[in-house]
Amino acid sequence: MTYEPSEAKIISVKKYAEDVKLFKVKTKINPLPGQFFQLSILGIGECPLASCSYNKKYADVLVKNSGSVTNTLFNLKKGDGVFIRGPYGRGYNFKEIEGKNLVLAAGGTGIAPVASLIDYIEQNRKNFGEIKILFGFKDESFILLGDRIERWKKKFDFTLCLDKYAGKLKYEVGLLPDILKKKKINSENTCGVLCGPEIMMKSATAKLNSVGIKNDKIYWNMERRMECAAGSCGRCLIQDLYTCKDGPVFRYDIIKEKLENESAK
Amino acid sequence: MQKIIEKKELNNFVKSLMKNYEVIAPVKRKIARFEILKNPEDMYLDEITLVPLKQFFLPENETLFDFKNNKIKKNKTEGRKRIVFGLRKCDLNALLVLDRVMSYPEYIKKRQNTILVGLYCEKPDEFCFCNSMELEEHYDLFFYASGDKYYISIGSKKGALLVRNLDNADKEVKKEIKNFKKLENKNIEKDYSNKKWDEDVEKCLSCSACTVFCPTCNCFDIQDVKELSENSGKRIKTQSSCQLKSFSEVAGGKIFRESRASRFKHFVYHKIVFYNKRFNKYMCVGCGRCLRACPTRIDWVETINSIKSKKGDKK
Repeated sequence: MTYEPSEAKIISVKKYAEDVKLFKVKTKINPLPGQFFQLSILGIGECPLASCSYNKKYADVLVKNSGSVTNTLFNLKKGDGVFIRGPYGRGYNFKEIEGKNLVLAAGGTGIAPVASLIDYIEQNRKNFGEIKILFGFKDESFILLGDRIERWKKKFDFTLCLDKYAGKLKYEVGLLPDILKKKKINSENTCGVLCGPEIMMKSATAKLNSVGIKNDKIYWNMERRMECAAGSCGRCLIQDLYTCKDGPVFRYDIIKEKLENESAK
Repeated sequence: MQKIIEKKELNNFVKSLMKNYEVIAPVKRKIARFEILKNPEDMYLDEITLVPLKQFFLPENETLFDFKNNKIKKNKTEGRKRIVFGLRKCDLNALLVLDRVMSYPEYIKKRQNTILVGLYCEKPDEFCFCNSMELEEHYDLFFYASGDKYYISIGSKKGALLVRNLDNADKEVKKEIKNFKKLENKNIEKDYSNKKWDEDVEKCLSCSACTVFCPTCNCFDIQDVKELSENSGKRIKTQSSCQLKSFSEVAGGKIFRESRASRFKHFVYHKIVFYNKRFNKYMCVGCGRCLRACPTRIDWVETINSIKSKKGDKK
């Protein structure tokens, strides 16, 4: 496999928060929901990212300014070129989640792959049962994809959670897993789809377990530093599993023990 | 059928190969290592090299492509024909291990352009345990010393061509390698949290010498190197190590293998368990270089031997 990327033009840039922008990039790589690609800027480097839309014409790259590549990307404008290779990895397993009720819970820029899945669900609504969505953000100024959230609110059981919010009524206030705990969840024929910091996914998993959704019905979207995206460089190994090839979406029962082993003191 | 060559004719034979090929062979500097031969007399075949061969297939820094003014310039992979002479069975198998994970064109090209000539290991040392690792027969040519001759097994057409002018052997010479050390148990998946590991972890400095000298360790980063004065540069593949904390770091600073214990065990388990789950082969070839190179003399093989598994060996 070659590590050589192709050039792709930025179609538009939208700022959502102080350190988060959405770059619409023209590309035909068409990643499936949950798959990722390597986005790079020549002279700076590559970073693995997921599209938050599902379509054949462009990738929607929701980027938090948190490293050298994203920092440079933040200075780019409409018409500028970036480089892309992909798509890579296994996204959401439709064989396992279609025909099911879904609880989708994601936080911060972790909403990106989940938003792509919601796109897919909108396009194939009859293939899914009840959809319950929870998105969590730090505060009102950090709400991402607000325009699309307004649309989803009309179509799905959608809860917007803010860690901090002084007002009332508009949002639920508190950490996402705590708000998830208050929700009534029908466990029958239901899968959980999670993306965010591991500590958030862990407590959300505990809640889903407590209502009877087992680990083999819960999907974690893992963040690791994929360098080659070909199962060669070893950077993204979670014990014997490559995040870039076997993931980044994993069934939790498959990676639970491996994650516990790796984080042991 | 094997071919034969007089031992005193070996240097002349190698010299004749050097006319058409770049010949890489073990030499002894301060330590034994592989080098591109200038004189056949420099060859040093008495012991296993401390430095493995891998730099000739996986250079420490390797250009993937150049770029200028935001355009990529394709990198021409060099197609020099090479012969590596004097590879031990462990060295030959290390390449098979790499072949299963390395898929980028520069590596594949180098592999295709290289003829592998093996040499029977006369004197395995106290660190060698290759017989425990289920190694395969894999070579273009393989030399067995016997009396004042080498008996040469042929493993491929490419190899056969190199020895077509040598005499046929009157008998067949094959020998099994003798090891002093043994890895007695590879079924350690359930022993990840075993207390027996604690002493090794305590001694480990995370210096990454084991991964540098291991012939199958191949972890790498991809980085951009920019020319300061111009709008140009190159994207390179650069060797890295799972023993470094930064290796499991993601944007924002979170490190997933934070503890020394988790990094040390990642090395051992990758060699014996993780790779095996994927390919049904061991990533370790039993060369013992990690044990020789370790500054605090960690012997993870003996640690595993001290872990008594109830279920016995996996295979």
